[in-house]
Amino acid sequence: MATGLNVTGPLISDPSFPSDQSVSSRSINKSLRVAEKERRKLEAEDPFVLALKYFSDVEAGTPVIGNDEFEKNLVQVEKVAYSKGLSPEGISIMLEFSMSLRMGNAPCVRVLKCLIPATVVPQEAVVRAVAWLCVGKIPISAQVLFIKWVLTVFDMIDAKDQLRAIYGFIFNFVTEENLCPFICHLLYLLTRKESVRVFRVRKLLELQSKLGRQPFLLHLLSLYKVFCPELVTLSIQSRMKTGFRNHNAPWKSALIAVQKRSGSQVASSTSLPFMIKEKTTSRKRKHCLEFPTMSGSVNKQAQTEPSVSKRVVPLVQLHSFAQLLKNMHCVELPAQMGSLLGSSLALHYLDCVQDESALLRLNFWLGYALHEEFLFCGDGGSSQNLEEAQQFLNKLLFTQDFLQEGFSSSEAFLYKFLRVWDGSLLRSQVLGLLSNIPVIPSIKIGQFLFEPLMQLFFTSSLFFKCGLIECLNNMLSKWLCWNTVYCLEDNLDISPNKSHTSINMTLTDFKDSLMELVHFVGRLASVGLQLEGYNSLLLSFILDFYETVCDMFVKYELPLVLVPPAGVFYPALFATDPVSVDRLAYIMYRYQVNLTEAKSHRKQPKKACRISHHTLCDFNHYMSVMVNCLWNSKMFEPDMGIQLKEELLLKANIPEYWESFNFIHHPAFLSYAVDFHHKCWPGRQDMNLNSIKYSKPWTWYLEYLYSQGYDGLKQFVLVM
Amino acid sequence: MICVIVSVLRTPHSSVAVQMRGKRKSCRQSYSSCLGASSRLGLKPVLTGRRLNTSRRAPKSHSITEKVTPEQLALLLKTEWKLSYVTPLYQFRHTQLRSYCRQLSAFIAAEKQQGLAVEVEGMQSGYRVSFSAVQGMAEADDDAETVTIQIHSKSMLAKQDEPEKLVWSGWLSCINGNPDYLHSLPNDFTCLPLFGSSGQEVFTFLVQSWFQKTFDCCFGPLEINHTSLQWLAALWTNCHTESSIQHLKLIWTLPVEPQLQITYTVNPQDAWSLWSSVRKDPEEENEGEEESIDFEEVVRFIQGLKNHFYKHFRLDLSAGTLKQVSTALGSAKYSGRIKISNSRYMITTLTLLTEAALLKMPI
Repeated sequence: MATGLNVTGPLISDPSFPSDQSVSSRSINKSLRVAEKERRKLEAEDPFVLALKYFSDVEAGTPVIGNDEFEKNLVQVEKVAYSKGLSPEGISIMLEFSMSLRMGNAPCVRVLKCLIPATVVPQEAVVRAVAWLCVGKIPISAQVLFIKWVLTVFDMIDAKDQLRAIYGFIFNFVTEENLCPFICHLLYLLTRKESVRVFRVRKLLELQSKLGRQPFLLHLLSLYKVFCPELVTLSIQSRMKTGFRNHNAPWKSALIAVQKRSGSQVASSTSLPFMIKEKTTSRKRKHCLEFPTMSGSVNKQAQTEPSVSKRVVPLVQLHSFAQLLKNMHCVELPAQMGSLLGSSLALHYLDCVQDESALLRLNFWLGYALHEEFLFCGDGGSSQNLEEAQQFLNKLLFTQDFLQEGFSSSEAFLYKFLRVWDGSLLRSQVLGLLSNIPVIPSIKIGQFLFEPLMQLFFTSSLFFKCGLIECLNNMLSKWLCWNTVYCLEDNLDISPNKSHTSINMTLTDFKDSLMELVHFVGRLASVGLQLEGYNSLLLSFILDFYETVCDMFVKYELPLVLVPPAGVFYPALFATDPVSVDRLAYIMYRYQVNLTEAKSHRKQPKKACRISHHTLCDFNHYMSVMVNCLWNSKMFEPDMGIQLKEELLLKANIPEYWESFNFIHHPAFLSYAVDFHHKCWPGRQDMNLNSIKYSKPWTWYLEYLYSQGYDGLKQFVLVM
Repeated sequence: MICVIVSVLRTPHSSVAVQMRGKRKSCRQSYSSCLGASSRLGLKPVLTGRRLNTSRRAPKSHSITEKVTPEQLALLLKTEWKLSYVTPLYQFRHTQLRSYCRQLSAFIAAEKQQGLAVEVEGMQSGYRVSFSAVQGMAEADDDAETVTIQIHSKSMLAKQDEPEKLVWSGWLSCINGNPDYLHSLPNDFTCLPLFGSSGQEVFTFLVQSWFQKTFDCCFGPLEINHTSLQWLAALWTNCHTESSIQHLKLIWTLPVEPQLQITYTVNPQDAWSLWSSVRKDPEEENEGEEESIDFEEVVRFIQGLKNHFYKHFRLDLSAGTLKQVSTALGSAKYSGRIKISNSRYMITTLTLLTEAALLKMPI
């Protein structure tokens, strides 16, 4: 091998680096360089950057028709523009390209239409474009489009001083008949007192006599009159409708979409007028599912008493966790509590908010949004709206998970919503919210939770059934968790204000509610399994639930043991898949552990736990059934739960029917028994599974089953 | 006796409307708030089930004119208001109304100027907002005083003597609000659940967003549902002897394709006799100084009207929905528009609407 290396070595490595060490260091250097090169290459290869470069460098007179490169690059720019919007630099380059007519008139309009700014529009770009306008080569339709564009993005232009400086140049275009209305609007936006001059007023009046009393001229004149009443003698009705028409049509929807996507704070000024307009046109559909933006409290005078003037820091000014910690004692809550849900830092703070009013405000807002969106609205939600609703609920779920608590308004909402829910709309989100509801008093639980859930359960698909059982399992674990936490807190008495940290419930009440829940799931599970033909998937979710139930005493210190109903126990025991039987065995093993523990505590008065006689009987019965079935091969013995008439069993013509459910013949394990038989007696021609029953092969067979991962069986057999 | 106008409305969405009703009806069945056992993020449990009262005092000819100045009453009357419900206002103070005037004017000016970029001194005085509390409107001790809001526009080009134009007006009110609910709120909250607005939608939007930002509350549309409309029909008819209702006009829509609208106008005297016939014997009632009306009676009254209609036209109105009720005392529409024309019965109407608004509260 060594020689082999020697032979191949020089072939690969450079001969000038003979030693091993230098080779490795060189390769590191090389990899760094490669990475750097890669990075640069990537940057340079970003098709959007390339496209912008193309448009800034392209030579005048390049033909458009049949120019694939141009087409490809423009498509690239359009793609970015409509999805994310163009950067200020991108706007500059594209505007310059378009207005300079470097590639003729054709691309000019197309480029103008895709000028959707992501943030701001640089003023210089606009000024330069106006300069191109003055050259006068641009077709009139493109000129109009350009001015409309300027009007649309006016609020996004980063400064207006230079534009005001060229007021005179812009004013010149009023004589152009087609441009006049738009130029008037632009001038209206730019006009200041010093721009009002006699010659301009004269020009406008002259135009008015030519064009008639056009509203755009009147508007501009009326503004002039406001600034310099002495220059404009014209009488203008005070009742004149104010405002120019909006010309944002080509860009409006794209602009809103881009701003929405970027969660835009930047040019909120443009979005607002649109928003109001939308509100008025389609006010039927009001959007409640937006988190309010965070802002400092507006209503200060009322809040702070004059005597108390301590330093407060608005939450909106805090940007890091460290800052939050430092100012924890003097944080001022935002004006709208709903905004807390939009920021992860604020959630940390929310976790320690003690102010009842603040939480109530949050609950009012949240409840309002949920009610308006899902209960009071009639249209059922369009698909786009559905996506929004989904995001909103996901955010809410995230918040509740973070705080490890549900909001009472979402709880109140759910009780109403469950009655009208079809079980499929936003299923996972609704079930997620449902699993977060706090413990309901046992007298109310039936009416508020079980009735609607039962209807839904029995009328929905298998997947809904599985989902609901999973949700109820989560609910149960959360209830148990809360109970342990609050018990602990109450014992230690660390919380200064206990009234809201502890559940106002005695342990008995809590146990009652819990019992109701477990019994309810037992009923659902029994009937559900029958309805679905003992589906393994459903059974698996049900066994998940009982895995939580069986450990309540040991894991959650709750003095309560509840065994599954026969409708769950027998289907699991006779399941055709070994996993279910194994899990049942594990559950029975945990019950055994819990009950033993409970019994040993009986003498300690503090953890007094009276397990009902009934429970113990049921458990013992299940245990004996299981042992008789799987181990002793004594199926259908007189003392067992399942009894069949002797003659009926004989009629069925099954030989040794009492053995049909032992580890060897149980349908779930039969294949293992056969496999084991093959392995144990490889040469044997005729299969006799009963030979496994002898004590040696039996032990081996069990070992073999354990080795297949059936730990539940193992533990069960140990305590049996 | 009866004048009936049947007209066919061709709306493409009629089937949707029917669905909507179904949904609403079923969600009304559960009146709950959070039940006991609240977590930290919850509030103290409000266990009182909230629903429309099934019995209410008969509208008595109110002495409201003695308590409230006619100018302020005039602000509320004879205008058709679009109703909304409002969640309780946080840190609202009746003593701060003057400062609210300034803040809201500034807010409107700022919002209106967006997109105009006109920076001129003295221009922002375009709108003048006035808040005022209507003293004497509150009925129960827990009711917060009604507040009216008006927006006047001052044109920049107006002559000196030209009067300001009222462009928008609205009010917030709470009359005989459910004391259990009101008591369950902490002191920082003022519950004025009923909001009426009249004027340009843009101003409604601006006022609402200012309230949302300032008092952390939420506004939602309040429709006057079937039950409330029936109540209003009965309550107004009950006043006929004291103040003529002139006519009782009810508009139903029937869910057929195309949608059928039925306008059912009843002679006031006939309506009154029907109403008197369905009223319980006054002696049966607990020798009350206060006359009360039960929902049963209301149902019987409306059923009587429907039966009569069926006799003549073989059309059962039970299949349809009551969309509008109007008399000389006022008019109410399902869409949540109400007009009160007579101040004497205003309190009764507002009590009913306050209840309806409180029912819409999320918690």
